[in-house]
Amino acid sequence: MNMFWKVGVLATKIPARKRLQAGLKEVGENVSRKVSRRQFLTYTLGGTAGFLASGMLFPMVRYAIDPLLKKGEGGQFHDVGLSVDEITETPKQVQFTVHRKDGWYNPPKGEQMTAWVLKLNGEYIAFSPICKHLGCTVNWNSNPQFKNEFFCPCHFGRYKKDGTNVPGTPPSKPLDRYETKVQDGKLLIGPLVKK
Amino acid sequence: MLRAIYDWVDERLDITPLWRDVADHEVPEHVNPAHHFSAFIYCFGGLTFFVVVIQILSGMFLAMNYVPDIENAHRSVQYLQNEVAMGVIVRGMHHWGASVAIVMLFLHTLRVFFTGAYKHPREFNWVIGMLIFFVMLGLGFTGYLLPWDNKAYFATKVGVEIAGSVPVLGPYIATFLQGGDIVGAQTLARFYALHVFFLPAALLGLLGAHFILIRRQGISGPL
Amino acid sequence: MANNQEGNHKQVHYVGDSHVRADRSKLYPKDYDEFPGKTEPFLPNFLLKEWMVAVVFLVGFMTLVMAEEPPLGEFADPTNTSFLPVPDWYFLFLYQLLKHKWAAGDFVVVGTMIVPGIAFMALLFAPWLDRSKERRPLKRPVATGIMIITLVAISALTWAAEYEHEQQLLSAPGETPENTEIAAKDSKGYDIYAKNACIKCHGENLEGTNGPGLLGVGNKLSADEISKIIAEGRGTMPAGMFQGSPAEEKILVEWLTKQTQK
Repeated sequence: MNMFWKVGVLATKIPARKRLQAGLKEVGENVSRKVSRRQFLTYTLGGTAGFLASGMLFPMVRYAIDPLLKKGEGGQFHDVGLSVDEITETPKQVQFTVHRKDGWYNPPKGEQMTAWVLKLNGEYIAFSPICKHLGCTVNWNSNPQFKNEFFCPCHFGRYKKDGTNVPGTPPSKPLDRYETKVQDGKLLIGPLVKK
Repeated sequence: MLRAIYDWVDERLDITPLWRDVADHEVPEHVNPAHHFSAFIYCFGGLTFFVVVIQILSGMFLAMNYVPDIENAHRSVQYLQNEVAMGVIVRGMHHWGASVAIVMLFLHTLRVFFTGAYKHPREFNWVIGMLIFFVMLGLGFTGYLLPWDNKAYFATKVGVEIAGSVPVLGPYIATFLQGGDIVGAQTLARFYALHVFFLPAALLGLLGAHFILIRRQGISGPL
Repeated sequence: MANNQEGNHKQVHYVGDSHVRADRSKLYPKDYDEFPGKTEPFLPNFLLKEWMVAVVFLVGFMTLVMAEEPPLGEFADPTNTSFLPVPDWYFLFLYQLLKHKWAAGDFVVVGTMIVPGIAFMALLFAPWLDRSKERRPLKRPVATGIMIITLVAISALTWAAEYEHEQQLLSAPGETPENTEIAAKDSKGYDIYAKNACIKCHGENLEGTNGPGLLGVGNKLSADEISKIIAEGRGTMPAGMFQGSPAEEKILVEWLTKQTQK
């Protein structure tokens, strides 16, 4: 056993080119066709390193990217205490409280949210009041100059009734919408649709 | 006595070559501010390292009183700053040191660039230096959030939004940084881990490589 | 050890069974004549000089630390819609770049990916982009020129971001005085104030919502200054927000100067 080990080490320590020069042609050819002992050990070492690294890192990486793979609490809808009969084509402001859990943190008061609700072509729409320009708050029909439009007082941003931004005013995108759902004749407001 | 201890250790560990290599290497005249005052531009790198040492030390001490939790982070910073002896100095060193480190790093980079010191054979050390620069910016970005004041919160929100506007990958980067859907409790914990463990580990590794390469290749010659 | 005795005939003595040679040669300082002029050993000669520089630096640094208390703002309040976000100063140039028309909106990729990406890659691979042997900055005008232009651009963007932020701060809600009672609320001045867009930003009780509060504005601004701001705007407040008649404006300005709460 000991002898075998030593021969193996000696044979592989000398590069194939040198062995050829030394007249050990056959050995050289043999070595180049087969996987030499040293190569085999190196591959095994690499494989073991790969196993050790991935075995260690796999749980950690999965742990770190969990937020990416976790499904958001997207499905939560909130009753805003508004029956669908009350919703007209004129946007109406409603306020509701959202209890959103941030990991282990659950603020007891919840978050106060506002939406502009209207009925358009038989569809119930809830707009977020956050202006897409710099995050001010828009209001419906608040400027006598621009009737029947959402108006942002900060930089005169304007949106049409369907939420599209009026070209030439600061915002570059239409107002964000909340998901809506009708249940038992009542309007439920869901999460913000992200674009 | 000390000499005897040293010899005893040295006989067993042969430590002399380790430090003699650093101690005995000759430093050329053109980088020595005692010979040419203008050579102070070669000090920026060393000073950056000095600030990094200040940052690591003050950060370790700040961590004695800091809690990475959105309910308590702000309170703990307020406490360590106003009620712990010299707290205002220690936090001041860490806070201003962050800016000074970026400035020194910037000056060092410009010195290396304008003296062409990044050219053959020192290409690789330049690349390592650039990576150090980006790790430092990452440390700045993650550290800014930790006091959990309005400035920190909104700056991080803007920063994450910028990262989130990258096409295709953006939303994933944003969620990864936030640790959730919003900048909140999980973001703070994440930024704390990055700021205190991940990025400093990367920084120390890169700094080690940077210094080893400087010893290997020597400093670039005079212009 | 065992290997040693069998394989090598040359006898090497180690300390114990370690790899440290017992008869290691002494290390002498290497000749270092690659550079002309006077060289000196790193320890202690050069290091002392470096530490002198460090002493000067540390004194300056600690002076700064002691002169300026590290700022700590209010507890973070995500519902605060009027806070003006601003990143740390070394990210300001990027922040400002993203405000530019060609780097925002539909072209946001330019601002977030293309421009910073090119700059980052160019910096990272500078040694392979600038391959000449020449090291003097004046002899390689392209590299030097690009770097100087970049520096100027970064400085300009940082300055512009800072300037715009200061301007916005002027029109952001400030501190509220202790007395929050509006002077002459029943007068015509308040009616005009409420009828116009003013109330949307400055608040029903002059407390300031998207804009600064106007309580105590009479202490800070004269009538002329107020009417100038009404006409021309300031910060994020655009010009021509007031849409009443000149006579109404006069009443409004007069009423605002009466707001001298403290």
